[in-house]
Amino acid sequence: MERVVILSQVQDIFKDILDDEEVILTDKTQAPDVKGWDSLTHIQLVVGIERHFKIRFTSREIQSWNNVGEMVDTIQNRIQNS
Amino acid sequence: MLFTSNEFLIFFTAFFLLYWFVCDKNVKHQNILVLLGSYLFYAWWDWRFLSILITTSIVNFILGIYIEKTTVPKSRKLLLWIGLLQGVGCLLLFKYFNFFVESFSNFFSFFHFNIHIQTINIIIPLGLSYYTFKSISYLLDIEKGKIKATAEWMVFCSYIAFFPALLAGPIDKARTLIPQLEQKRVFDYNLATDGLRQILWGVFKKVVIADNCASITNHIFDNYQHFSGSTLLIGAFLYTIQMYADFSGYSDMAIGFSRLIGFNITRNFDFPFFSQNIAEFWRKWHISLTSWLTEYVFTPLSIAFRDLGKLGLIFAIIINFTICGIWHGANWTYVLFGLMHGCYFIPLILTGKMNKRSKIAGNKMLPSFSEAARMLATFVLVMFTFIVFRAENITQAFNYYQRLFSISLISIPAVPKGYLTFRTLLLFIGSMLLIEWLNREKEHGLQLGVIKGRIFRWSVYAFIFFLIGMLMETSETPFIYFKF
Repeated sequence: MERVVILSQVQDIFKDILDDEEVILTDKTQAPDVKGWDSLTHIQLVVGIERHFKIRFTSREIQSWNNVGEMVDTIQNRIQNS
Repeated sequence: MLFTSNEFLIFFTAFFLLYWFVCDKNVKHQNILVLLGSYLFYAWWDWRFLSILITTSIVNFILGIYIEKTTVPKSRKLLLWIGLLQGVGCLLLFKYFNFFVESFSNFFSFFHFNIHIQTINIIIPLGLSYYTFKSISYLLDIEKGKIKATAEWMVFCSYIAFFPALLAGPIDKARTLIPQLEQKRVFDYNLATDGLRQILWGVFKKVVIADNCASITNHIFDNYQHFSGSTLLIGAFLYTIQMYADFSGYSDMAIGFSRLIGFNITRNFDFPFFSQNIAEFWRKWHISLTSWLTEYVFTPLSIAFRDLGKLGLIFAIIINFTICGIWHGANWTYVLFGLMHGCYFIPLILTGKMNKRSKIAGNKMLPSFSEAARMLATFVLVMFTFIVFRAENITQAFNYYQRLFSISLISIPAVPKGYLTFRTLLLFIGSMLLIEWLNREKEHGLQLGVIKGRIFRWSVYAFIFFLIGMLMETSETPFIYFKF
């Protein structure tokens, strides 16, 4: 799956879980840039992404992302390796 | 050598002069002095524990270097586990061994099995809980690749033993303090004077508020059987204020002394009594411990339980606060204290309000009615947990509650006289809360931006000095959080 497609699907998941149609994600987006993205909704977002892409992150991966780009990299790696 | 003692005043003055006038050539000289000063400060309390502090420092310094060097994930994990075992092992041995042994044999004697395990006669090394948490966070961060291991043993040992925060925190993470220890400190007049103001405010809270509350609360809690419910309610109120004034007063002094020697250490309190719910309270109370637990306990647990949804978050928060409770000491009262706070979070998790942040009163002078009501409700919830925290054991806590919620709650309280009368003490408590309310957006209560004009500001400082001088008791009362 192409990176752009993954990013767009992740954006849809964010819109759905944060209940905000105006969320726009780029590779450089970080939690403080998105209204409602805090440590608790982060867990919900992770679960949403895992279910959508049918993958499972490790705890270390979830805690290591500094921005959306790094998260998308992990998703892409997982999809390619599965 | 308490921060409010004459010995500390002499020690710190000598340290300050040597630090800025003799050892100011380079960072190495500054760190030698910080380390020697910290070890002297620690040995002054009890030299026997110095060996444990030094051993912990050396072991964790070496482990840090090897965790970073090793590229094999399994070996990194193994080295991390050695470090965790060393830290947690020391805590278990010195702080919790007797507690577990006694609880274990009590549990079996309940079923008429008599198991006799010898307890050990051991004293808890001062500051153990604080410096162990520092060393654990250091190793965890290296293993996760968040920080690099420091190659300078003197920097690492100074980080662990940093004297202003050695005995009762704040628990600085390595990424906050180590970069500051690696750079030469340059005297900053504004930082130093603000540090002095923060120390003055800390001493005021300790000497004028906490110690005078203690003279009443000790009497009420030790003889609670003889007091009415209404008096016990006042006892609980005063103890909550005492805890805050004692511990935040200590923290203000620790931060202030650090600023005088050019360090900015972690903030520990952010005016917690102005919180509108319990989650906000814990974001503002003992911040360095809460953020430590959030990062290393709550977050990994909430990730591990993520498939359980809100139930998973509830499990994570209950475990997190149980650990928070038992961190304070080996007593079931602390476990119950933590559990109560964990349970307080459940409604917030279920309604999704746990992380909601709102600025109280905005830029207005007074809070709205609903804000004031939420502040009061949060205070009352916290106050009830401090009854358990103060009690000697669970039975005493329940008896206290029972008497408090008896018919005598509706009676005129008969507050015993401490060093000050209850009315005078209330006046001082009200003044403290008012000054902190006016400065609630500032870093500490005495950043008097609201008072224009130097003369007025100095009058306030002089008045606080005067009060401290008047009320400084001859006998020194140790800080409550030293025993944790």
